[in-house]
Amino acid sequence: MSAPSLLNPDQTDALQEVTNIAMGQAGSSLASILGVFVNLSVPRIRVLDAASIGTAISDMVGRDKEITAARQSFHGTMRGEALVIYDQEGCMDLADLMGYDGQLDAAAEREILLDVSNVQVGACLGGIADLLEASLTYSAPSIMAEHIPVDRLIDPKKMTWNYALLVEVNFTLEERNFTSHMTFLMPEESIQSMGEALDKFMENF
Amino acid sequence: MPTPVLVCDDSAMARKMLIKSLPPEWDIEITQAANGLEALDAYRAGKAEIMFLDLTMPEMDGYGVLENLQKEGLNSFVVVVSADIQPIAQERVRQLGAIAFCKKPVNPNEIQEILKKYGIVL
Repeated sequence: MSAPSLLNPDQTDALQEVTNIAMGQAGSSLASILGVFVNLSVPRIRVLDAASIGTAISDMVGRDKEITAARQSFHGTMRGEALVIYDQEGCMDLADLMGYDGQLDAAAEREILLDVSNVQVGACLGGIADLLEASLTYSAPSIMAEHIPVDRLIDPKKMTWNYALLVEVNFTLEERNFTSHMTFLMPEESIQSMGEALDKFMENF
Repeated sequence: MPTPVLVCDDSAMARKMLIKSLPPEWDIEITQAANGLEALDAYRAGKAEIMFLDLTMPEMDGYGVLENLQKEGLNSFVVVVSADIQPIAQERVRQLGAIAFCKKPVNPNEIQEILKKYGIVL
């Protein structure tokens, strides 16, 4: 089966809308923690083969950017991994908003990023699961990479999945540099389960 | 004569969900738009006495539509329907002239209440 046909156009549109609703909740949680207005992007949904994921992420974040990333896996009706990728410049901004002044050591930076990642992933995936009547459990988030060029984040040779669903959600803060990119990577059978859940959801309308 | 109603959202699914939540007895003619630019075209063609407007959209977002409508006299009742539930978002769209804000997924009772409040559906 070719990558794009794992989800048909109706399912893709429905997933985009479900993600949009969920990211509204995630954005609102983020806004209340940080005390600033969060700009939401239109979510982008793509099914990619493993070899294209690294390039897709580089394109999303911006080539040559230095990033730090957190990962969190989820299991249940669907399984996969959520990645939250932060632009390095934005990390200082985040620390500032969270009340750290000046001295930000590596441990404090990690703690902030993990907290914020957990909120974003939990609210967004939780929102999708609620709408699709799916049940998900989450592992604790961990730091996947620190201060590396974005093109080194994903090693295609180490990808164990043939296909991945790339759900792209970007948050930016008004009057700040902070940007975060969230993606969900899921294996083929989970993409199919997602498709079935989306079909059921669409039957209501 | 049926009331011209515009439903603007980039997602076909979201437009379907919204249309299904409108009062069934309401005599309307529905036009759909997939982005802000299409919405403005429909508005200028007199197809948007009532407008249900999403905020996050490509081409032109909902804020852009409201700003343009203000420049053009805002001859429409605009109900913003958005997943962006931040209080500031709600405040902004009201300042830009929207009569109400509904969070997604839409609730038919909430839509009915708004329409009643403005004497749109009696």
